[in-house]
Amino acid sequence: MLRLENLSCGYGPVVAVEDVSFDLPERSSLALLGPNGAGKTSTIMAIMGHTTIHGGRILFNDQDITRLPPVKRVDLGIALVPEGRRLFTDLTVEENLTVGGYRLSVQRDKINRQRVYDLFPRLSDRRKQTAGSMSGGEQQMLAMGRALMTEPKLLLIDELSLGLMPKMVDLCFDALAALKQDGVTILLVEQNTTRALDFAENVCVMTSGSLAFSGTSKQAKADENLFDVFISAAHE
Amino acid sequence: MYYVDLFLNGLIFGSMYALMAIGLTLVYGLLRILHISHAAVYALGAFITVIVANATGSIALGMLVAVVVSAIFGMGVYRVLYQPMLRYPPYVAMIASIGLLIFMEDAFRIIFGEQGLTFTRNPYPTQIHNLFGITINTVQIAMIVLSTICLVALALFTTRTRMGIAWRATVSNPTIATSFGVDAIKVRYLNFMIGSALAALAGGLIALLNNFVEPTMGFVVSYKALAIIVLGGLGSMRGTLIAALALGLVESFGTIWVGSYLDRDALAFLFLIIVLMVRPQGLTGAHA
Ligand SMILES: Nc1ncnc2c1ncn2[C@@H]1O[C@H](COP(=O)(O)OP(=O)(O)OP(=O)(O)O)[C@@H](O)[C@H]1O
Ligand SMILES: [Mg+2]
Repeated sequence: MLRLENLSCGYGPVVAVEDVSFDLPERSSLALLGPNGAGKTSTIMAIMGHTTIHGGRILFNDQDITRLPPVKRVDLGIALVPEGRRLFTDLTVEENLTVGGYRLSVQRDKINRQRVYDLFPRLSDRRKQTAGSMSGGEQQMLAMGRALMTEPKLLLIDELSLGLMPKMVDLCFDALAALKQDGVTILLVEQNTTRALDFAENVCVMTSGSLAFSGTSKQAKADENLFDVFISAAHE
Repeated sequence: MYYVDLFLNGLIFGSMYALMAIGLTLVYGLLRILHISHAAVYALGAFITVIVANATGSIALGMLVAVVVSAIFGMGVYRVLYQPMLRYPPYVAMIASIGLLIFMEDAFRIIFGEQGLTFTRNPYPTQIHNLFGITINTVQIAMIVLSTICLVALALFTTRTRMGIAWRATVSNPTIATSFGVDAIKVRYLNFMIGSALAALAGGLIALLNNFVEPTMGFVVSYKALAIIVLGGLGSMRGTLIAALALGLVESFGTIWVGSYLDRDALAFLFLIIVLMVRPQGLTGAHA
């Protein structure tokens, strides 16, 4: 479904990601791991269309989307749960979901909205509350709900569990598991390595802008060197 | 009834300031540019109203043409002036904007003459009505009715329609809004279109009230509108509305109480300075 071929990208002349390739088949899930500043967010933002591309290609269902504007990528079925959630803080919960369903018909909006409220009943209780006034966990639910409003085929999630209480983390991962069950392809960036490896079948590990490991979660769990990658990068 | 009249008069002027300043707030909220030449759009609206009204005999038609042409002009200002400057820090666009205001003022002077223009037939400012003991003229009634309609419509648009909500989302976070399929460029044009249309309407109504337009009419208003958006907390629509009405009231009462020492326009800035000393975050508090 998604394929990165030797992708290099960054911000203006700055290069943040260099020569990264991976393949994400339909209905599969991939955990993208790595220490701070490794380029995980940049990779995700490149897939959504928010970075400067320096080389390589991004293919979505065999279509070259490397230079497609973000607006068009939404229509293809790519949705983003950005790092730090980045909600429209002075808009209400309902209004945030409205923006999520912006490209779809009013009927689809209604159906999807109900689905989001079923998945996260907490949001349903807070429809009229502004997004900025909610707790971190509720905000993460809303960020996921907003992305689900687009009816995504590929969901990009950057730091699902960051700053959340353990109970909230469980809740968010449960929701993610349900989506996976429904056939959504998932690319997950996550600090909580154990949770990520338990969730996703495949893993890529990035360090300072390039891929350091790529394989199945089973292989990753067995590979003792992998944890050294994190540790040595942290001491660099 | 004297104080009621003053109060009403203050609200009427305040509502015109609001129509004028909302465009500035919209542009600032979206692009972080101080759109000084917005005052030129206001003056353009006033001139077109007079010219078309005098040519066709219909003031309503004059206002309509003024609103439409100014809306297009406002979008043109974005396209020609601001869009190429977005890569640079916001003060670059602001300086260009000041340049455009001065240029437009001189253009008005060259084209329409130093003395300004009057309506050939405008009975409305002198049609005085007595409503429940309040004295009010026809233009003032039109000001109240039209500004209320516009502001309510704007409020409904931004909270009840998908496009309006997407617009606010873009102001809140442009990059993420595009990730959900909102076309940020369209939003910018919409922004300039609505803001400029409202300013032109205010310009036309003020022209009617004074039965006079002059090339410099945008200048003082531009300062006042800046004062208003600062008082309103920069970027907040609700704050802008409150600040505009407050300024109208301060001017209205101020001219009576201290008018012999201070001119009406100086009062506005005295008010601005005092408020900012007491509440540096503006009248309505911190804007997130
Ligand atoms: N907007 C930006 N402009 C310039 N450089 C940036 C920008 N965002 C990130 N970078 C740089 O790109 C590199 C990769 O950053 P990125 O945010 O992709 O890492 P990350 O793996 O997501 O890290 P973290 O775990 O801290 O979120 C870093 O060196 C960072 O400084
Ligand atoms: Mg990151």
